[in-house]
Amino acid sequence: MKVSLKWLSEYVDVPTDIKAFCDKLDLTGTGVEGVEKTGAALDGIVVGHVLTCEAHPDSDHMHVVTVDVGAGEPVQIVCGAPNIAAGIKVPVATVGAVLPGDLKIKKSKLRGVASCGMCCSQRELGFGSDHSGIWVLPEDAPVGEPIADYLKMTDTVLDLEITPNRPDCLSVVGFAREVGAMYRQNWRDPLGAMAAELSLDASGAPVDEAVSVTVEDAVRCPRYTARVIRGCKVGPSPDWMVERLAAIGQRSINNIVDVTNYVLFLLGQPLHAFDLGKLTGADGRAHVVVRAARDGERLTTLDGEQRVLTPDMTVIATPERGAVALAGVMGGLDTEVTDETCDIFLEAATFEAGRTSRTSRNLGLISESSLRYERGVDDQGMVERSAAAAALIAAVSGGTVSAAAGNESGCVDVWPAPSEPARLAFRIPRFCGMMGADIPRDFVVDVLARLGCEVADTADADVLAVVAPTFRPDLEREIDLYEEVLRLWGMDRIAPTLPASPDRVGVRTDEQRKRDVINDTLRACGLNETMTYSFAEPGDLARLRMSPEGLGAPVELLNPLNADQSVMRQSVIPGLLRSVAYNQSRGVHNVQLYEIGTVFSTAEGRKKPKERKKVAAVMAGAMHEAGWNTAAVPFDFFDGKGVLESLARELALPKVRFRALASEDAPHLQPGRAAEMLSGGTVIGWVGELHPLAVDAFDATAPVVAFELDLGALVKASCPARPYVDVPTFPAVSVDQAFVVAEDVAHEKMLQCMTSAGGKLLESVQLFDVYRDEERVGAGKKSMAYALTYRAADRTLTSEEVEKAHNRLVTKVCKATGAEVRG
Amino acid sequence: MAITDELSALRASTLASIAAAETSAALEAVRVAVLGKSGTLTGYLRSMGSVPKEERAAVGKAVNEARVAVEEALGARKAALDAAELEAAIDAAAVDVTLPGRAQQMGTRHLINGIIDELSEIFLGLGYSVAKGPEVETDYYNFTALNAPADHPSRSMQDTFYVHDLSGDTSQVRGESDVLLRTQTSGVQVHVMEDQELPIYIIAPGKVYRRDVADPSHLPQFHQIEGLVVDKGITFGDLKGTLDYVCKQVFGPDRKTRFRAHYFPFTEPSAEVDVSCGICHGEGCRMCKGTGWLEILGCGMVDPNVLEMSGIDPEVYAGFAFGMGVERIACLKYNVPDLRMLLEGDMRFLRQF
Repeated sequence: MKVSLKWLSEYVDVPTDIKAFCDKLDLTGTGVEGVEKTGAALDGIVVGHVLTCEAHPDSDHMHVVTVDVGAGEPVQIVCGAPNIAAGIKVPVATVGAVLPGDLKIKKSKLRGVASCGMCCSQRELGFGSDHSGIWVLPEDAPVGEPIADYLKMTDTVLDLEITPNRPDCLSVVGFAREVGAMYRQNWRDPLGAMAAELSLDASGAPVDEAVSVTVEDAVRCPRYTARVIRGCKVGPSPDWMVERLAAIGQRSINNIVDVTNYVLFLLGQPLHAFDLGKLTGADGRAHVVVRAARDGERLTTLDGEQRVLTPDMTVIATPERGAVALAGVMGGLDTEVTDETCDIFLEAATFEAGRTSRTSRNLGLISESSLRYERGVDDQGMVERSAAAAALIAAVSGGTVSAAAGNESGCVDVWPAPSEPARLAFRIPRFCGMMGADIPRDFVVDVLARLGCEVADTADADVLAVVAPTFRPDLEREIDLYEEVLRLWGMDRIAPTLPASPDRVGVRTDEQRKRDVINDTLRACGLNETMTYSFAEPGDLARLRMSPEGLGAPVELLNPLNADQSVMRQSVIPGLLRSVAYNQSRGVHNVQLYEIGTVFSTAEGRKKPKERKKVAAVMAGAMHEAGWNTAAVPFDFFDGKGVLESLARELALPKVRFRALASEDAPHLQPGRAAEMLSGGTVIGWVGELHPLAVDAFDATAPVVAFELDLGALVKASCPARPYVDVPTFPAVSVDQAFVVAEDVAHEKMLQCMTSAGGKLLESVQLFDVYRDEERVGAGKKSMAYALTYRAADRTLTSEEVEKAHNRLVTKVCKATGAEVRG
Repeated sequence: MAITDELSALRASTLASIAAAETSAALEAVRVAVLGKSGTLTGYLRSMGSVPKEERAAVGKAVNEARVAVEEALGARKAALDAAELEAAIDAAAVDVTLPGRAQQMGTRHLINGIIDELSEIFLGLGYSVAKGPEVETDYYNFTALNAPADHPSRSMQDTFYVHDLSGDTSQVRGESDVLLRTQTSGVQVHVMEDQELPIYIIAPGKVYRRDVADPSHLPQFHQIEGLVVDKGITFGDLKGTLDYVCKQVFGPDRKTRFRAHYFPFTEPSAEVDVSCGICHGEGCRMCKGTGWLEILGCGMVDPNVLEMSGIDPEVYAGFAFGMGVERIACLKYNVPDLRMLLEGDMRFLRQF
């Protein structure tokens, strides 16, 4: 909200140090988002005192004057105005000043006489139209004072962040009250004097005969008041009101609408002025009904938009016209005040806060009125505020305010649901205990009173009885009062302490520790952690060629920012692939990225989606560039698998297996370079080289090795502790053995055979070479060389024992796999 | 010539050869020639039987003396040659130590998670545990249970992403839904209060979503760290002391904090916390937009309504809660010029941390 300090200072003393004032506002809960100074255009123009005035030696109408401008030597100015004279005070534009219209004042010579400035007329300063001569200022004008200050033209406009709990601060007087409380000084409420200006005219039809008001639902509209002002002349507003509104960025419309805006900003009361003639029915009365909108009812609002309404919205209606205004949000175009309007129906009301907010959001229509209604407008004091507005309308438009037949106030007032002020107890010791500070009782009482509360003692000296004002709907509970006192006492005055309780220990859960292990392992494997968007394009899975089977339905956003991010991701890989492309397109070809992130899925009938955490990685290029002593080895399937093997070791996953994935089971992976990882029979995830077509679809360059594991499955499979195994004390015997097998015999098969055939003595099997050669090994065959280690835990093996065991192993392996021993 | 004379000649020539041997191999050749199976000195030993009896003692002594002398000389010469050869080998093995080492490339932690780790450590030290909650929430946990009922103006403080609700429930406002991407980690507070025993000392780091178009200073997804304490006798001073300690740990001991009164629906009294600008130290500069302060987090005493909704008696227990933006801390600590870099996965960016 914009607040003009010039306007504000009419009701409360505003500190002269604007920076300190803004700091204090910030600290007490009113954020200052901007400070704008106006009136700066008249820099360099000051009050001058004409000391001497001589005729120009070379002109019959010009004079040469010396003027005291309050600084240094008097300046000499050549002036052509007829009313210039010694002794008068005039506005002087000194050298360097810029007049409205971009006229820069320079040193010059006029007919041979030096002139160092200019004495100004009103028009030259942009002040009205008088150009008949120099603007003669009152004799007591202080010499040297900037003219903008002297004329009180300078203003500072603050842009304030009023938090949603403070509807009272959305008005100049409400803010003046706040400033008064901040500085514990009195403020001046203009309402009484403004309302007292109202004079009622009983000569015409009384208001309560000219209009009737029916409120169908008290919840929707707790209070509705109407006044009639007759004989108005719609036209321009007086300058002072235009200036007030302009200062806070409001355009002047006409005198009637401007008054409603002026009162809204001054007193916080939204008003609407209807053209009474357009509301009046055939019987000569305006029958105004506040009711729920009918389903599909249409109303063209003041902004020219036709709105289709729903019964959740409240309208002001007449039997003849239907809806004429959207309650609390905006008036209707057909009944607005125009230049032809003569008689006015002035509405001041309160409408249900939540419903106003919903209506605004449903129609995408936010107005100064709706902003206030959705935060809460006070129903108390409404007749006075309406009186102030009516009196002002009468004053600026020449109209008269109709009296009422049934009451003194001149108002039709339907008030089915008066608000009750909150009566609260304020326990001072509890307050001090909760704040951790001794805040004096006197301060508490004074500050609450300045905020508009009634504060009284109770039988218990520690407890105050507080009645909160109805313009503060946020003061509902004792704690609300604590906040008020604390913020005005100053949070900076509370000493910092730490909670005293000894009953706490910070612990990491098992899952968090395992997650740390996973992160540490992936980084130790050279992968760099990244983050990508949780949002996805609906076509991402198809582009990746990933089967949607088992992934559930995608989670769709109702209000996505754009089509590319309209669903929640079902796999982390598309985001990572985009990062691969991002790097490759910038000449970075060695990419090793991982992300532990959430994927989402849902199903018909389901409210909340399912969330799962995935551990995903992509590897493209090599781990590093070729060095002087290291080769750049391009990533392939086994780099990805190696990371998973490291993870399996670090997490102590039991019974880990990798099973080849057929292309129909993993169409996103390159056939033959795809596997799933299992631990104890549970699928943990997949690893492989992404299908070249999938990589291409994300504008990346293949090969890209990737894996995506289920974090939950990993954590669940992970063994909590590893058993101790005796360190061997007897020597081992190592035998190298090469087998020639058919291509389709997997290493895993060989391993299984060797492990089962090796018996207790076989300690470990290490594959150290795979060799293919059509001539020496044979077509469709490969030679697999293993280092077999034999050891007994309780003795040194004899060579005979080893030989026997090894021969048995070789025989069994050959028999089971069709292998031949390679010499 | 007498045998003893032959021996002394052999001994002298052998010692000369040993001294002349320049390599281990040459020395070995000398050893073999003299002491080997068919070595010259070995020949004398073998032929001792043919030496006349009366000379045997003298010859034997001479042979032995010669052998000892030769063996000593061989040993000494071998040691000298070994030392020289080792020295030569060492000299030859010298490398340019400024050549790059054979380092294993270690991966890096993402800046945001690095900051979350750092803060988690600080809070673990203060006796807090780390909690978590879902990223897709119901309206109840994101708003209502945090004292922001439907149509409350405080809800418009954040722009929410709504999710298609497949349960068949509909919203009163077009385009909204009962299911949403959490706009704050504060919902974890409610889950924790519902699920955990008192007292509660937790932080909850996590991803949150707001409907802001990505630009240098906004992202539609970012991270918050929520904090919640519920215990007997908790004061506003405790909140101040805790956050002051944390800010000094994160930003440095010379930094100050400032509490500005503010409004959040789920805390009362509420405050925003600023940390003094690390560039100008409070004088005012471009970084802090001339204020000398940088906004860092929001906090307050847990609103009694929130405690009550979670079944905790606000007359017995009090608490405080806070929420800080992790990206904000990243910007302040590392001067990241464009938040979008955090989501691009640019290796040149990631590998800086």
